Amino acid sequence: MSAGHAVVGTGTAQRERHAVVGTGARRSDAAPKVTGGARYTADVRLPGMLHAKVLRSPHAHARVVSVDARRARALDGVHAVLTRDDLGGLSPTYGYFIKDQPVVAIDRVRYVGDVVAAVAAVDERVALRALELIDVVYEPLPAVPDIDAALAADAPELFEDAPPGIVPPYGTGASGRLRPRRNVCYEFRYETGPEDAWAECDHVFEDTFVFSRMNHFHLEPFVTVADVRGEQIEIWTSTQNPFPLRRELARVLQVEENRIRVHVPYVGGGFGAKHNCKTEPIAILLSRLAGRPVRYCLTTEEGFLTLSQHSAVLTVRTGVRADGTFVARDSTVLLEAGAYSDGSPLVAEKAAYRMPGPYRWKRVESSCACVMTTTTPTGPFRGFGATQSTWASESQVDMIARRLGMDPYDLRMKNLKALGEPFVPGESGIDSDLAEGLEVVAGALGYHARPRTPNRGMGLAIGFKDGGGVNKPAQARVKVSTAGDVYVSCGTVEIGQGASTTLCQVAAEVLGVPLRRVVYAPINTDVTPFDQGTNASSGMTVMGQAVLRAAEAVRAQVLEFAAERLGCTAAELTLRDWAVRRGDEVTPLPGLITAVFGGTGFEFSGSGFFKAPNSREAPLDAPCVFWEIGWAGAEVEVDPDTGKVTVLQLVASGDVGKAVNTLVCRGQDEGAAVMGLGQALFEEMRFDDGVLLNGEALDYRVPMAEDLPERFVSITQEQGHGPGPFGAKGAGEGAMVPVAAAIANAVHDATGARISTLPLSPERVFDALQTR
Amino acid sequence: MSDPITIEFGLDGERRRERIAPNTVLLDLLRDRCGRLGVKASCERGVCGACTTLIDGVPVASCGVFAFSVDGSSVETVEGRGRADDLGPVQRAFAECGGFQCGYCTPGMVMLTTALLREHVEPDDELIRSWISSNICRCTGYQMIIDSVRRAAELVREERG
Repeated sequence: MSAGHAVVGTGTAQRERHAVVGTGARRSDAAPKVTGGARYTADVRLPGMLHAKVLRSPHAHARVVSVDARRARALDGVHAVLTRDDLGGLSPTYGYFIKDQPVVAIDRVRYVGDVVAAVAAVDERVALRALELIDVVYEPLPAVPDIDAALAADAPELFEDAPPGIVPPYGTGASGRLRPRRNVCYEFRYETGPEDAWAECDHVFEDTFVFSRMNHFHLEPFVTVADVRGEQIEIWTSTQNPFPLRRELARVLQVEENRIRVHVPYVGGGFGAKHNCKTEPIAILLSRLAGRPVRYCLTTEEGFLTLSQHSAVLTVRTGVRADGTFVARDSTVLLEAGAYSDGSPLVAEKAAYRMPGPYRWKRVESSCACVMTTTTPTGPFRGFGATQSTWASESQVDMIARRLGMDPYDLRMKNLKALGEPFVPGESGIDSDLAEGLEVVAGALGYHARPRTPNRGMGLAIGFKDGGGVNKPAQARVKVSTAGDVYVSCGTVEIGQGASTTLCQVAAEVLGVPLRRVVYAPINTDVTPFDQGTNASSGMTVMGQAVLRAAEAVRAQVLEFAAERLGCTAAELTLRDWAVRRGDEVTPLPGLITAVFGGTGFEFSGSGFFKAPNSREAPLDAPCVFWEIGWAGAEVEVDPDTGKVTVLQLVASGDVGKAVNTLVCRGQDEGAAVMGLGQALFEEMRFDDGVLLNGEALDYRVPMAEDLPERFVSITQEQGHGPGPFGAKGAGEGAMVPVAAAIANAVHDATGARISTLPLSPERVFDALQTR
Repeated sequence: MSDPITIEFGLDGERRRERIAPNTVLLDLLRDRCGRLGVKASCERGVCGACTTLIDGVPVASCGVFAFSVDGSSVETVEGRGRADDLGPVQRAFAECGGFQCGYCTPGMVMLTTALLREHVEPDDELIRSWISSNICRCTGYQMIIDSVRRAAELVREERG
């Protein structure tokens, strides 16, 4: 058993020296987290606080005939009950593009676990007892357990009337449609290049891949504490996007946005799950009804009934020349959206858009449809469509190589885009040297000199996604006290990724102060500058640029101020350790400041803003901020008698451009890679006829330390081409994306058997070995 | 419901006397009555280990034991291991090696490591890996936790001289 981590710098990043940036500085949240002092939403306690529980549907699909909560309301200790009869004056459905999910069931329930009613009581036990006293009459309707059932000609329509929805503006080649056909809530299409390119192909290969569904399994559950006092609504909630959440809540509740104050304490993991309305509407409505604070915390089992990753069926048709040159690719993706649309339309955009992968094509056509089924809703999950598209694309690249008699490494190298080459017309250039990254991983794995041992093999894959979000604006504020104590205030939520440290490092570097002088301000939407959300690996490339600019604005103010006092120009001064330097002359700032503002002091404050410019040429309406590339290599041994796959080596690598914090980058890549390992080998929500079989911690298997490969290596590449501060790129998703395909490719190398369905369970591998 | 019972136990070095309902779970006693919010509640099925505390030195998922069972015992939580301005050696190691991300599993991992290092002064990677395999971390991919435990062992050895 061995493990390792390396930082590999090749570009300009390694040459530049910084004081705070580029180190493995201890994270700012270390002390509270290792002592148990860190406070999460789950720890928020308010005086007089009640506890909420909800009644969930036992049916996959049913009409709700009646809901009678009179007996529950009469129970001692019950302070409020919420049913469909309490939704007057609200706009009671929510969602991202499509507002289809009701706060509580209105006319129908659409999956086992759909929320029907909610109770607030003195404690959870009383609330649970009250739920048993709610009488609901259902009229069962036919279930729609999976994609095939949903698309069948005689399938029941889950939404008879179209829920309100929008199609966002798209640029060249991209389009979207609401409800294009039965049980499809949204379809995204993209195409570019001449159709006659197909005529140039010597071979056209069509393959279909199946992607399984994971649960996020964040350890802090979905939880909200709401306190409604008159018109003021105050919540503490475990969310990744407080500002869009505030906006959505204001719409649902039909109140002004500035009546809602959202606090976000530390978040105990999100992985995409904690966006938009989850526990918030019910907590708020119960608090409003009860006139007391309400805590609504889900169990792990309820988390399984709230949101998951998208399972998918991906059909890829790829045309190539005889020498292996890629020419054209046509992909059809079906994502299982579950009962409500949640973030599915956005995931569909990305799943389709990313199907070409990091390769050069003349013609690309992609479509992705979100198919509604009577199962847990699906939504954002680390990788956001790229995990699905890369699973299919990178599996097929290996299959094509073998069909052409080429080494998969050579076929990739032949077709990879060059550094700076646009992904598609109108897009930004690829900001990683893809070939260099692949060679780093192949070299670390020992791919080129791999021994030919029976049942052992190696595989490679490249994960590919646009990073930084679409059209994402970020604002930040940096302020400095008289004594030189710095505050960074922005809406990026510390969900474990380390942004509260790395963003402070950026400010510390600009202001010339040690990291310990910089504090990351708590998030409160009344005072924190606006942000769209902690997602898309955007923390460093989008918010990082806003923080950089805010810190630069403060530095400029400080230098202007000092220059005026010292009778020189700002350009003659540098700022370091909260003193200005002019040649050898050092003037501490506190004295200069109090000389002007008096002994009560002052604060310098600067704002920063960043957003990629809009462009109609860019398919998604704005060019991608950065390209998040993850390279993975695996060596496996397959037991021919059982089908068990043992991963002997896993090498995972992301290009972070420049590591602002090497510990943080390593953590992001390794955590992502191990999540990919679970997806590859065993982790899966298993359904039988639409019924979830393993929706709890004991039956649902996530990777444990014992599941680590015998050799696990992570490599943080610093290629130096990133758009972020100091050449940084984003991290967090890239290293998860290629892992499943790398392992399946290694299994193919080892056995000649291709597994096209995840996970690579012993049973599935064994079956494939019998039919190879 | 049965009548409340009174239990006495040691909590992070202090004597506690609590009157509790017999069906009170230790996790709830620690968090709701004793203010030990550093003990994290997650799966509440004895699987994830976020609520790991030491009962008479043995790591236990506090969500899976009744509070009355600690009558006469000593209970240790992460909050007894050090303070933000005075970290214990295990905590220092996790901070230094970045053996945490969201931090929700960290109190449990710290307690697990504390117990491990009392039994084994110089654990090898195999032992560390199997020991921490009782607890789930969804963020780190475990390797940096393993590094933290190895470093903690060094710091504990240094402390003991």
